[in-house]
Amino acid sequence: MKSLRKYWSLLKISWETGLVYRVNILLWRFRQFLLTLMSLTLWTVIFGSADEVFSYTNAQMITYIFVASVAQSIILATALNGLARTVYTGELSNVLVKPVSVYLYLAAQDVADKLKNFGFIIFESLGLYLIFQPPLVIPSAAIATLFVLWLIGGAVLNFLITLLFGAIGFWSPDIWGPRFLFFMIVSFTAGNLYPLDILPEVLTRVLFLTPFPYFAYMQSQLFLGRIDSSETLLHSAVLAFWIVVFAIIVKIVWGRGIRSYSAQGH
Amino acid sequence: MSKDTVISVKNLKKYFQVYHKEPGLKGSIKSLWSRKYEVIKAVDDISFEIKQGEMVGFIGQNGAGKTTTLKVLSGLLYPTSGQVRVLGFNPWDRKSEFQKQFALVMGQKNQLWWDLPAMETFLLNKAIYEIPDKQFQATLDRLIDLLDIRDILDIQVRKLSLGQRMKAELVAALLHNPKVLFLDEPTIGLDVVMQKILRDFIKQYNKEFKATIILTSHYMDDVKELCERAIIIDKGRKIFDGKLQNIIDKYARNKILSLVFSKEVKEKDLKTFGQIKEFAQDGSAYTATLLVPRKTATVQAGKILNKLPVQDLNIEEPPIEAIIREVFGDAKNTPVK
Repeated sequence: MKSLRKYWSLLKISWETGLVYRVNILLWRFRQFLLTLMSLTLWTVIFGSADEVFSYTNAQMITYIFVASVAQSIILATALNGLARTVYTGELSNVLVKPVSVYLYLAAQDVADKLKNFGFIIFESLGLYLIFQPPLVIPSAAIATLFVLWLIGGAVLNFLITLLFGAIGFWSPDIWGPRFLFFMIVSFTAGNLYPLDILPEVLTRVLFLTPFPYFAYMQSQLFLGRIDSSETLLHSAVLAFWIVVFAIIVKIVWGRGIRSYSAQGH
Repeated sequence: MSKDTVISVKNLKKYFQVYHKEPGLKGSIKSLWSRKYEVIKAVDDISFEIKQGEMVGFIGQNGAGKTTTLKVLSGLLYPTSGQVRVLGFNPWDRKSEFQKQFALVMGQKNQLWWDLPAMETFLLNKAIYEIPDKQFQATLDRLIDLLDIRDILDIQVRKLSLGQRMKAELVAALLHNPKVLFLDEPTIGLDVVMQKILRDFIKQYNKEFKATIILTSHYMDDVKELCERAIIIDKGRKIFDGKLQNIIDKYARNKILSLVFSKEVKEKDLKTFGQIKEFAQDGSAYTATLLVPRKTATVQAGKILNKLPVQDLNIEEPPIEAIIREVFGDAKNTPVK
């Protein structure tokens, strides 16, 4: 119980820090809002007077983009984009000398950031909803529960991958190259600009060999009732598989990283 | 290892691999495909033991290996080889029971949350170190009073002065009453008054909590005033371990004779008594400073008094800084037991 309290305290203090720079938060959220707005506008233009494009009706597509952007906002919001720098500059020492788990310490910061974003997402979604009025299907309780679980799963997966990028800092200060590449790949493959099943089949198949569809696309499809109940189990298992694989990689890489840590300047 | 030994280090080595870049853009481009690596022996076969309640000063130049040793003792760095025990633990295991009993304070970097008032960090540390409410309040009150920082607790850390921040750093590090304290340059960048305040505080903490303290510092005054025992490290090796006073006995070859004359004296007359360090014979001031071998210092002083028009004479030990500079300047630095 006591040990949980320390992470709760950490979550609170991270939250407080996140709220210090109000303009920063507002601009960041405005950027996210614009991205979704752009995507929704683009699709509205593409549809024009057509009833169906890529086997999606206008309403289905708008709803999809809407849900996917909310899902992605939750999954990809992270406080740890600068983790590699924290590691490289030796700031991580502050955590390593204390009686806390370094993973939970970082997770608490990440959760705080997601919670902060979540509040804004609700308002933004309301705004977008009023502008585009997408027909929303309200899912059943079972689907809604699974949707939340998949959101959490996606968030955990993103957290683990973020930890891996952070681990680069143990060996090199060159972090922005790979991190930026990852951002770019995610924006094309997570499915928040367009649903992945409109891509050529070969490409879709390749994408499904990666964890990227679980960063927004699958969650949105589930929410919209476009996944058979027989397939939900399979996808839950695949998501769980990716989490386990990345957890193992993180454990190994961080284990080695901390061993070769040079705690520079600290 | 005796019963009250708190820190024991045996044959510790810590090597780093660093890469050398040739200067300029050409070097940067070349480094894309070919890099020269070199192994740096940051700590090279160091051994020592420290007993409970001892306050030991690590002396050495930049890059001598002081901070690296502290980082190994804190469990931050994995030793290349050797054995390290602190409070009976292997620091590298980073066990909670161990981490709750020590603190590492680095003068150059802080653990305080930059954008929030220091009090927030104190409360976070209370949770992290699982400090009971009563103990927390009592320790906090005591530390705040000792360092006189009650009025800055609610101010954003980024807005504090360096001295205020360092005081708050110390409070954050000591809230859990650590038995072992590693202080890395705790007074760096502070003015003389603030240095004195922190020194007094560290002394007080050592006395009150029987804490074992290792301190590294560039300021010899820190070490002189706080530590009876000093360990001198140079290029990763221990070259002296013992009472600070013994450094003087061991390494100071000369004593300093400060002389004031009533009349002008000739430089060549002075030369016969020792090495002239300073010589000023202008107007009404006739002064000189001589370096004289320790063993013959009193004899030479007697001779000077007899032969020259001496108004005032002073025999002094050279400042410890000078001795250490001389020790480090020695190219061969053989380890001294």
